[in-house]
Amino acid sequence: MSGSPKPSVLLVDDEPDILFSLHALLRREFDLVTAESGRAALDSLAERPTHVLLTDQRMPGMTGAELLAQSRRISPETVSIMFTGYADLKAVIEAVNHGQIFRYITKPWDPDDLLAVLWEAAAHYEQKAERKRLLADARQFVAQSVAANGQEQNSQGRELLARLDRAL
Amino acid sequence: MKVLIAEDDPVSRRLLQSYLAKWGYDVAAGADGAEAWRLFEQDEFPIVISDWIMPEMDGLELVRRIRSVERPFYVYTMLLTARSQKEYVVAGMEAGADDFITKPFDRDELRVRLREGERIIRLERSLAEQNRTLRETQAALVQSEKLAGLGHLAAGMAHEINNPIAYVTNNIAVLRRDMLAVMQLICKYQASRKLLARLAPEPAAELDRMEQEIDLPFVQANLARLLDKSVEGLQRVRDIVRDLRDFAKLDEAEFKDLDLNSAVHSTLEMVRHEMTCKEIHISTDLEPLPPLEGHPGKINQVLLNLLSNAVQACSVGGHVAVRTRAEGGQAVLEIEDDGSGIAPEQLPRIFEPFFTTRSVGQGKGLGLAISYGIVRDHGGSIEVDSQLGRGSTFRVRLPLQLPRSD
Repeated sequence: MSGSPKPSVLLVDDEPDILFSLHALLRREFDLVTAESGRAALDSLAERPTHVLLTDQRMPGMTGAELLAQSRRISPETVSIMFTGYADLKAVIEAVNHGQIFRYITKPWDPDDLLAVLWEAAAHYEQKAERKRLLADARQFVAQSVAANGQEQNSQGRELLARLDRAL
Repeated sequence: MKVLIAEDDPVSRRLLQSYLAKWGYDVAAGADGAEAWRLFEQDEFPIVISDWIMPEMDGLELVRRIRSVERPFYVYTMLLTARSQKEYVVAGMEAGADDFITKPFDRDELRVRLREGERIIRLERSLAEQNRTLRETQAALVQSEKLAGLGHLAAGMAHEINNPIAYVTNNIAVLRRDMLAVMQLICKYQASRKLLARLAPEPAAELDRMEQEIDLPFVQANLARLLDKSVEGLQRVRDIVRDLRDFAKLDEAEFKDLDLNSAVHSTLEMVRHEMTCKEIHISTDLEPLPPLEGHPGKINQVLLNLLSNAVQACSVGGHVAVRTRAEGGQAVLEIEDDGSGIAPEQLPRIFEPFFTTRSVGQGKGLGLAISYGIVRDHGGSIEVDSQLGRGSTFRVRLPLQLPRSD
């Protein structure tokens, strides 16, 4: 990841001590934003591009799973990780089955594992972003070709354009 | 059905014996009250027919003695007597006799009266059975509430303790990384100390003084160790919280595959403190077991009950052995102690609810009854071998697969 800017990570937990501790661990390698509630997290997602969202499940007001469900509408490309205590297994299973989370991490976490998982998530985001850029470039190229080409190749070109649009 | 006859007159005694044998009763007879009492103590007789007037011990005294001992079943007593006046009937009833037959007895009357006695015995039995079921149900209710309370407590505690453990563990990792970097930085500063002493002797002397004051070499040598030991301590707290949660897995009301050996390990952790206090040696011989179908929280409760009992029974420096093995579709668990053992007369009662040998307030006498119920619910069995003063072995058998209920 040399040269490229630090991946942006949004940390969500209702306990400030947890956020402070995570901030201390991750500050060197990631561009961090913290939020103490699901509501604040959604605001942050709307304001700035977020590569990785790391949220606790058990929070007053909005739970982690609820936050993830809503975050997909605001920032679908963000890769999500959930913190879970012992008793939250049900919520995790549900979130996994709904395809909402990339990984989950049990509390208390192992600091090295957490770093590794965050880097995996950042790489995953990067892959998705790269794919999206690739498709967009291809679409632009095909669109130009369709505009420049003769009639008979246009139906094939238009079909390809439609497929690229769907993929994007 | 077994019937005991006490009759000193040989003719009458033989007559009774032959009638009763003909009617299908299993008969034993004593030539007087004392002999009949010896026979009674050695065996189980639901019906006793006794003559009133006998040498040594008369019928009235025999009935009194029978009533004074506790038997797990009802004993129906009949007095044979020529005395039919009211005051004799009252005296006989007060001693505890159930029926009177006047001498010389009529064969048919004796037969129907014996049948009546059998009917009373059946009624007494079904009453005792109902009573036992009632007590078991009540005990099960108490146990499920107790367990529910403990489960809530454990789950709540695990969650509350988890968050601080999480960030303290993380903070130590951060401190370790950052402070070791700071130590390297200080090393670099120290390397340029000679240069500083030449350029600015006063601040350099101040630095020397401060280094001595905080004993910098110690800090440099031991910082990593201090942090590592703290991480180890936290790991232990984590394990305790995890064991506590494993112990009272109440969310999982369903039966599921469980590993008996790991249940033994986590329960041993629960009694570790008690064992250490009494300097009790524990040996385990756990053979690999296939998973068995069961309720983890409840199986853990059985293990905890049996292990606590074993520890309680042991004197200081005693031994407890825990063994598991698979045997013909069953998982067999043995918990053996070399403690006080159980008196033979108490042995049949230990699984009864509210039966306890401890003084009031020290135990409710529910542990073994609950364990018995739980094991029974799993389609298994508990048995015990015990010798007073030598120790006890409790053996739990659990089917690896639950019998399918219809």
